[in-house]
Amino acid sequence: MHNVWLIARREYVERIRTRGFLITTLIIPLIMGGFIFGGAYLGSKSGSGAHIAIVSSDTRLALDLQTELQQPPDSLPHSASQPRIAVDAIHLAPQSAQATRSLLDRQLDSGRLDGYLWIAPADTPANAQPTRPTFTFTPRSSEQDSLRSTLAAALGAVLLRRQLAQRGILASDADSLLQPVDILAASAPHRQDRESAEVSITLLFVLMYMVIALYGMNVARSIIEEKTSRIFEVMLATIRPEEMMAGKILGVGSVGLTQVGIWLSAALLLSASSIASSLGSQGVHIALTAAQIVFFFVYFILGYAFYSSIAAALGAMTNSEHEVQQLNLFLVLPLFVCFLTLKSVLTYPDSAMARVLALIPPFTPLLMYLRVSLGHPTHAEIVASILLTSASIYAIVWVTSRIYRVGVLMYGKRPNLPELLRWLKYS
Amino acid sequence: MSIVQLHHIRKVYDTKVAVEDLSFTIEPGTMFGLLGPNGSGKTSSIRMMIGITVPDSGSVSLFDRPFTRSVLGRVGYLPEERGLYKKMNVLDQLVFLGQLHGLSASVASRRASLWCERLDIVEAIPKKTEDLSKGMQQKIQFIAALLHDPDLILMDEPFSGLDPVNVFLLMNTLVDLCSIGKAVLFSTHRMDQVEKFCNSIALIHRGHLILSGSMREIKSSYPRNRVLIHFEGDDSFLHHPGIELLKRYNGHAEIKLRPSPTLADDAQSLLAQAIAHARVTRFEVMEPTLEEIFIEKVQQTLPTRNGGELSMAQLDQPNGGGLDA
Repeated sequence: MHNVWLIARREYVERIRTRGFLITTLIIPLIMGGFIFGGAYLGSKSGSGAHIAIVSSDTRLALDLQTELQQPPDSLPHSASQPRIAVDAIHLAPQSAQATRSLLDRQLDSGRLDGYLWIAPADTPANAQPTRPTFTFTPRSSEQDSLRSTLAAALGAVLLRRQLAQRGILASDADSLLQPVDILAASAPHRQDRESAEVSITLLFVLMYMVIALYGMNVARSIIEEKTSRIFEVMLATIRPEEMMAGKILGVGSVGLTQVGIWLSAALLLSASSIASSLGSQGVHIALTAAQIVFFFVYFILGYAFYSSIAAALGAMTNSEHEVQQLNLFLVLPLFVCFLTLKSVLTYPDSAMARVLALIPPFTPLLMYLRVSLGHPTHAEIVASILLTSASIYAIVWVTSRIYRVGVLMYGKRPNLPELLRWLKYS
Repeated sequence: MSIVQLHHIRKVYDTKVAVEDLSFTIEPGTMFGLLGPNGSGKTSSIRMMIGITVPDSGSVSLFDRPFTRSVLGRVGYLPEERGLYKKMNVLDQLVFLGQLHGLSASVASRRASLWCERLDIVEAIPKKTEDLSKGMQQKIQFIAALLHDPDLILMDEPFSGLDPVNVFLLMNTLVDLCSIGKAVLFSTHRMDQVEKFCNSIALIHRGHLILSGSMREIKSSYPRNRVLIHFEGDDSFLHHPGIELLKRYNGHAEIKLRPSPTLADDAQSLLAQAIAHARVTRFEVMEPTLEEIFIEKVQQTLPTRNGGELSMAQLDQPNGGGLDA
């Protein structure tokens, strides 16, 4: 045990000290923060202040539409969040149609306009019932396409109001007729639990995926490094390969946990600070019970250890980083399968399938955590899941150390399966 | 009491027999040379001595007890394949390896400084391992094997790649350790090194032990039938009837005398003839060298394909080097 501690400590200290650690610790949150805030900033920019032009020979229609778009009836509860739209109404003279269109197109190109609506009067015979004109909206880019539905709604309202007026209905009556129906959202009693569980399971998944993708391979790499630097022979002359493997997983693992810990506490600080609230983000309130938090950590660490030990096995089997990259799939695939079943377990956390899957070690960390949060697993199931995963971690480390010991002493090519099986019998 | 006792050990890798029926003993205070060409099973034997691999049959005893991992703290091992953590600082590295052998950090650090002084590499202490020359790294690893004051020191090809000054320095260090009662085993394919320093040897070839015992006994069991002569002038004395085999070099000759009961007299008459014809600057009668003994033994035990004279160069793998250095 002392040796495991020595190995783990060396691994940890050497890695924490590197410039690479410092850089990733700083850079990754910056990049992610950049994406989030940058995205929010761009979103806020494109959402507000759209500027369009309406071209129509029917000036009244154009002006009505302008009023409708610029002053949405304030009875609408979500009006505040609706983007304000600046509208230019342009009278269309038939002889200058071509010139107007090319002018508008130039304005689109230069970015002064976000789009224009072209209202062409329908060719109706003089004595026939007037038909609707054709409406064509030309957005600057596909981003402004969402304006089309806003325009359609506004046009609908304007045209309806006009027809109502033609049938002799007062404008004020028309407004009350057009009042939209609002359905208020109410919460079901357990909705809050489910939502917070969904948030925390997503968090667990993302964390686990990220940490495994970033650090699982580090375990493999560190083992390969030991092979290429050929220090293993000195090590094996004093310690057991099991101790070495366990030390590696613990040491490299703790580096990952440290980094994630730094990020998480930074994120918590940030979200508690005013920066987040000033951005008007709809803060996610994670209402977790103490037990849920404890289980979160238990299953996170179990999952992390499980996947790290698989990475260690991959490292023990291969001789170069290049080879281990090819085997990366074995690491990510179980996690991905887990992600696929997530939805059905989320809906039916106590179904037979969920109960079985949650006891299979590669899936336990995510699925059992989900069941603990949402379903009603028995105490026996929780204990069994923890024991099974721990036992399989132990087994993987044992097998890995066998492969490692024989593998490093027989230099050269990657072993095939029969060879691997034979190695397990060697000591 | 014996430090190492190998009893009929055998190790087979897949189809290749690495070691076959190998037995020998190492006593305290012995400088033991494990000899053999590359690929003859030296490294495999050493690995079995310290439990890195386990023999398929036979037994290994260390310090008079069947092997257990608990004695590894008394063994210092320098593997043939050198390896250190490249990014690690030299002192940290030595302390870490010392701790793995059961030393406390402070003791390990103190001893590491002392050893670096002794081996003349004090300037390396604060550096990163990857910034050191290969020779320096080798010395660091040498120190790592000795830091915990082991009673059994196993060195697999300890001098390969070192310059003569450093070979001398390390060799003397080993001799010193030997003289205070440590058992030192070193493997090599350099017969001259063994001849100079070892008092006990084991010669192995293709996994088989072909010769073992104390250096003096082995040598004295061979007749003094080798003559080395340095001379200037007429070389007609080289047609002397007592000469069985002759190698002419620039200014000197190596001679093997025909086996006969009057071997010593033959040598004398050869000397007389040489003096009569040429100016002799050196004349030496001696036993065969270890290299010659080895080649002879290999030829006796294993029939060679071409039946011709076997040399170290043939026994070695391409980059072996043999004796020509």
